[in-house]
Amino acid sequence: VATSAKTRGTTLGRESVREASVGYAFVALPIASFLIFFMYPLGYAIYISFFEWGALGKIDSVGIGNYRDIFDDFLFGRALKNTLYYAAIVVPAQMALGLSLAVIVNQALRFRTFFRAAFYFPSVAGSIAITAVAAYILSADGILNAGISAVTGSEYNDPWFGQSDTALESIMALNVWTTSGTMMLFYLASLQSIPTDVYEAAAIDGAGSWRTFWKITFPLLKPGHFFVAVVSVIGALQVFDQAFFVSAGSGGPNYSTMTIVLYLYNTAIEGVRFGYASAIGIILFAIIFTLTLIQRLLFGRAEVA
Amino acid sequence: MADEPRDLPPVPPVVAAEQLATEGQVAIGTPPTGIPGQERSERVRRVIVYVLLFFVALLFFIPFFWSVTTSLKTLPESVGFDLLPDDPSIRAYSQAFSAYDFNRYFLNSVFLAALVTTSTLFLASLGGYAFARLKFPGREVLFMLVLGTLMIPNELRLVPVFQMLIDFPIVHVQLLGTYQGYFLINLVTATSLFLMRQYFLTIPKDYEEAAKLDGAGYFKTYWRVMLPLAGPALAAVTILTFQGTWNDFFWPLIIFLGDETKYTLPLGIFQFRTQFYTQWPELMAASVIAIVPIALIYVFFQRYFVAGVTAAGVKG
Repeated sequence: VATSAKTRGTTLGRESVREASVGYAFVALPIASFLIFFMYPLGYAIYISFFEWGALGKIDSVGIGNYRDIFDDFLFGRALKNTLYYAAIVVPAQMALGLSLAVIVNQALRFRTFFRAAFYFPSVAGSIAITAVAAYILSADGILNAGISAVTGSEYNDPWFGQSDTALESIMALNVWTTSGTMMLFYLASLQSIPTDVYEAAAIDGAGSWRTFWKITFPLLKPGHFFVAVVSVIGALQVFDQAFFVSAGSGGPNYSTMTIVLYLYNTAIEGVRFGYASAIGIILFAIIFTLTLIQRLLFGRAEVA
Repeated sequence: MADEPRDLPPVPPVVAAEQLATEGQVAIGTPPTGIPGQERSERVRRVIVYVLLFFVALLFFIPFFWSVTTSLKTLPESVGFDLLPDDPSIRAYSQAFSAYDFNRYFLNSVFLAALVTTSTLFLASLGGYAFARLKFPGREVLFMLVLGTLMIPNELRLVPVFQMLIDFPIVHVQLLGTYQGYFLINLVTATSLFLMRQYFLTIPKDYEEAAKLDGAGYFKTYWRVMLPLAGPALAAVTILTFQGTWNDFFWPLIIFLGDETKYTLPLGIFQFRTQFYTQWPELMAASVIAIVPIALIYVFFQRYFVAGVTAAGVKG
């Protein structure tokens, strides 16, 4: 009996060693990839943000000089202003549109699947392909101007992406349209987690649908609002593709489409100022990290899934 | 998940009241029904709602519709307000494919998206299985590391990854401008791994135990038992990854800019736009080429898109 128990003990021990080594083998490649292409870059970016760093490596140790320079940098200021302005308009607009669409497709409607598919469709297409379509529609001799000319009776042919007082606003409109479908899906998941008995109670009390929405649904969606807001803000702070496309990377006209990430890209790839670009990246990361952390701490991750 | 049509469960008190009302035994306090005209106004209201909804749906579609019709027009026609071309032709498509190399960009996009999707599927499911089922010291810490990568934005990785690809540490290989470079930094994503792990956690353990009794090893259990049970999660990862790679602009721009033979569709569209500013039919043809494959996948696998997006939402 003693021998068999002992053998059993060692096979169990051997088995758990085997299980552990198989476990390590199975996660080895993903973990290596995350360490090399995420964690190491994070550390590296923090490190070189304290240096003047060029194509051939270290030039000079500048301490927090890069960070101090950022605050006196006219172009960074412009990029920050544009990005915050962009977020201030796009985030509320995306949330409102996303919520409206979600409430609509959450009704007992005919063709509900069709409507949901239609509203989500722009989110499926790639940012560059869709910006090309927008560049056509909003061009000087495009359909939008043709429509405006037809309605007002006077010739209108301003290039929407090509003039500094409408370029960024046009990108805002474009992105509200293309991402509201994604926000709709998040809100839909959140809407469907509301227990139906609260609606029953409201129906018994004779509350109309408008009142039910504002008094019951809207407050109960609080976790959903917060989740969508954070996702939307993070996305807005990272706006790049559309600005790069319409300005061919320059952030023009007159820096009106210069965003933080576009400036970071230009500083790094065109300017080869790696240290300075990394400092910009760290600042952006700090903002995003804080937002994500607040979200996780307040609501946990199971909120929407 | 959230995508199946969900009939609202009948609400007993309300149903009872309605029945009472229609069957004539009107209870005290129940509002009388059958007011003349009410039913009709209700119908009119519904019709208005549907008309509005179709109009909004149309607004969401019109830009795509316009890009398709424009791609079938001639250049002079493309600047007008006419929706449909007088004489539709596929000239713009043949131009895009023959004169502007969009066939090359298309193949590059297909190749990279297929490659990245395959490796992501394999590594995310294998890793997800290990994190969900196998016990090994440090598992929780390593999983925290996976979740931690979700918080690191692409822009922060730009400089370090760019430098790494120019001259890879230790081995000193240049990967900038190569497919290998793109593939290497996109082997697997934390979102996919997370999604797979969560799904494996919901599968009852009985299946594996049966396999274990039959003497199956860990890899065989993963391959023969777990993978076949994880269909919906695998579909969501496939779509999420394929779409992400197909539409990716940021990394191809950084890795391939300057070498047109490596361009993917988004990069090709960008370059075409900067070189041939107002060749609208060709530009729209290129956009249609980039949108249609994803649109088709979306039409056929809609429900997995929903699952993938909602799960990717944890990425933030």
